[in-house]
Amino acid sequence: MATYQEFIQQNEERDGVRFSWNLWPSSRLEATRLVVPVSCLFTPLKERPDLPPVQYEPIMCGRANCKAVLNPLCQVDFRAKIWACNFCFQRNPFPPSYAGISDVNQPAELMPQFSTIEYIVQRGPATPLIFLYVVDTCLEEEDLQALRESLQMSLSLLPPNALVGLITFGRMVQVHELSCEGIAKSYVFRGTKELSAKQIQEMLGLIKPAASGQQGRPVGPHDPSATCRFLQPVHRVDMNLTDLLGELQRDPWPVPQGKRSLRSTGVALSVAVGLLEGAFPNTGARVMLFTGGPPTQGPGMVVGDELKTPIRSWHDIQKDNARHLKKATKYYDALASRTAVNGHSIDIYACALDQTGLLEMKCLSNLTGSTFQRVFSKDYNGEFRMAFGGTLEVKEMGVGGTSQWKVCSLSPSTTLAMFFEVVNQHNAAIPQGGRGAVQFVTQYQHSNTQRRIRVTTVARNWADAQTQIQHIESSFDQEASAVLMARLGVFRAESEEGPDVLRWLDRQLIRLCQKFGQFNKDDPTSFRLSESLSLYPQFMFHLRRSPFLQVFNNSPDESSYYRHHFVRQDLTQSLIMVQPMLYSYSFHGPPEPVLLDSSSILPDRILLMDTFFQLVIFHGETIAQWRKAGYQEMAEYENFKQLLQAPLDDAQEILQTRFPMPRYVDTEHGGSQARFLLSKVNPSQTHNNSNGWTQEPGAPILTDDVSLQVFMDHLKKLAVSSST
Amino acid sequence: MNALKQKKKKERKQKKKKTVTSRDDVTEGHVSRKNKLSNQARGWNDPPQFSYSLQVAGSTRGPLAKKGPPTPAAGGPFCTKSQAPSRLELKGLCSLKGESDIQAESDLQAESDLQAESDLQAESDLQAESDLQSVSSVLAEALEACRQAISRQVCDDIAKRLRLLEDSWRSGKLSSPVKRRMNTLTLEMKSSHWDLADDIHRSLMVDHVTEVSQWMVAIKRLIAETRNLKPELLA
Repeated sequence: MATYQEFIQQNEERDGVRFSWNLWPSSRLEATRLVVPVSCLFTPLKERPDLPPVQYEPIMCGRANCKAVLNPLCQVDFRAKIWACNFCFQRNPFPPSYAGISDVNQPAELMPQFSTIEYIVQRGPATPLIFLYVVDTCLEEEDLQALRESLQMSLSLLPPNALVGLITFGRMVQVHELSCEGIAKSYVFRGTKELSAKQIQEMLGLIKPAASGQQGRPVGPHDPSATCRFLQPVHRVDMNLTDLLGELQRDPWPVPQGKRSLRSTGVALSVAVGLLEGAFPNTGARVMLFTGGPPTQGPGMVVGDELKTPIRSWHDIQKDNARHLKKATKYYDALASRTAVNGHSIDIYACALDQTGLLEMKCLSNLTGSTFQRVFSKDYNGEFRMAFGGTLEVKEMGVGGTSQWKVCSLSPSTTLAMFFEVVNQHNAAIPQGGRGAVQFVTQYQHSNTQRRIRVTTVARNWADAQTQIQHIESSFDQEASAVLMARLGVFRAESEEGPDVLRWLDRQLIRLCQKFGQFNKDDPTSFRLSESLSLYPQFMFHLRRSPFLQVFNNSPDESSYYRHHFVRQDLTQSLIMVQPMLYSYSFHGPPEPVLLDSSSILPDRILLMDTFFQLVIFHGETIAQWRKAGYQEMAEYENFKQLLQAPLDDAQEILQTRFPMPRYVDTEHGGSQARFLLSKVNPSQTHNNSNGWTQEPGAPILTDDVSLQVFMDHLKKLAVSSST
Repeated sequence: MNALKQKKKKERKQKKKKTVTSRDDVTEGHVSRKNKLSNQARGWNDPPQFSYSLQVAGSTRGPLAKKGPPTPAAGGPFCTKSQAPSRLELKGLCSLKGESDIQAESDLQAESDLQAESDLQAESDLQAESDLQSVSSVLAEALEACRQAISRQVCDDIAKRLRLLEDSWRSGKLSSPVKRRMNTLTLEMKSSHWDLADDIHRSLMVDHVTEVSQWMVAIKRLIAETRNLKPELLA
């Protein structure tokens, strides 16, 4: 229904929320029968340039186990200055500062257009942001030089009051003192020895060592003498740090023939986490790890130093042949938990995605294989887009429970998926008010060091599935549901075998089609899906082929990387990842989106494919020949030059703004890199079915993969069959 | 069923229909295929590097991937204020052209260009020296003004780095865009436009880090310190 599309869009724009179902089934049994669970994608810090934050604290419900925030769904008695919590029905008085409110003078948080509202709160002194660089020195000289310069450049992009620290590692781990005068000093740790947080803090002088049986006392969180040495304000140490970075050398330990560099990533991270734990617990901080290869020694090692032992592949993992996998994963999991508890986050910058041990380290927050500088991009207010130390609380009506998660680093596009369970008994009456409500409370530290709370309150109507199934069906958001099911699939893929996940996904799709399809039994040609579901099978088709569920052709680290980003991005980007966009440029008209199908590959066209992770510019056969012949250099073929330039310009727009920066591929018909395009398009024409006699448009793809048409045929057959 | 499916697919595609936006709003900065970092022999398919200004501007534009139809424009011809290096640009290399920082790939094989180059060379040497003088004098003044406010060691450090700057400039190690932007930076400092000066320093660090990293941090410090000084100390 057209109205639901508008409703869905408005809600997303205002609240950053997209539900799989916008009418909720009123019992648990009915909810399970819907196949796709009642769930939503939520972007806690969606950019809202039109929403200025308010400068006061939120008003909360007085009931101890409720504490919901005042919102537009609450009933208010303006005369008696009392409000009723819509989650627990407790009546709460307004504080004295609200004495002046009335029907015509309402506070912002009661107005429907402020279903999402942000409060600035200040509790205690403002704490600066903290950036701790952990740098691998086992790099090729070229890469090290590039890294040196990037880090030096970053000092100009950091806020002047932010604290910055430096740890370098190779075979040993060095924590550098950033004092302002004279000789550079550092504390060196062996890369092989696992140390506890307490030991690290003692050795760095953050704790006075225990004397005769007593507990070691911390030196004090803001004691300048201790913590100052390793984490200093940028404006004070930038010159020294610039020199220090400029003088960074490759790890001096020689690497014998046939061996890998000894890289003590595990201990380096442990020291970083321990340092921050001891010095700045519960403050927004980012550990930024820059690594050039896998950890090869000490706790958390992913592969040994013998080159003849290759790093684990998917094959090894499936055959349970990956020696270090379990231990290393456990090690980094533990580190991640400690980090999260303190509200810190770890970013990993790998100079090559492949084979750096990302699979084991994936629990540490953010993985990126690309530009460091983009991290410091600013928003419309000139403030950094990153946010620190977030906690998200979700409150649902009736249950009275609150669930809380720590999300230690947030960006405006970070999107979480929430899965809800309807707990009403079957045939029980619909709860009073006819609507269910959910409130999201996100507390975080803004990059300008303010502490903020963003509250989003949403509601949807309950519906009786027995009598209103068509209405529920029309409230289905197929895009959100596709992404939500995909995230469930990825979650499963981490613990189950690949084929099992695909079977599960297929099963859910068939059940959904059986429930909502209109058909005559055993007659596949009669199968119809309503508009609100019509694109869903296509999404599932592409999802099955995607690198999130297909690990073939990717290393374990690559798969981790793709999955990591998939479960964090907002809906639009996630859809691009599942079903890439394809644009066509030709002389026949303006650029236009075309089907992701082999029939779109034509000789006189340039295609731009956006898979989120890659941007592929593909020149058709004729275009490629013209380019080779150099027509674009001739004055009379200026329009050809412009045609060649157009996709480059559009790609540029995307490259500028997207984080992580996509891989950029420029290829042509017959080029080896055309495989990026050929593997993604629906192979409606293959060597199996292409008919040499008729002039079908498009190039046949050499594959045995099933095409969308075949997939749909099978789906219809299974859905209408009386035996499934 | 097929027709319906095709129609629905088309509708969905049309909802996400994108067209090439106008080129008019692209000012300076562009996709530079040359590497700004030192590892010259980068692998194939390394993405183009973006200049700082383009990144800052880019964040306010709606990228292709966002929803909603952008302003329709003819797909063919676009504004020829493009970044493609043209032979006409070469002659402008040596003269001050305000804020345009086109890293033109100079095609010095062309004879006529060579001639033009040598004619301008002498002129440009003089120009470069006087530019250096004006830049250095502003920076030296700022340093003097700050001497009371900051420690001696820091002052010496800054002075050392300013000398590095001068040496690099004189020995021709700095490229023209860097020199031009330094000129602008010091002009802004003189007029007390601290934010602008800061922005230029950042853009230089991002776009030309190899050339400037050793001494730019001193400029950054000078800007930060002088803007906090009492007005009477700034002559």
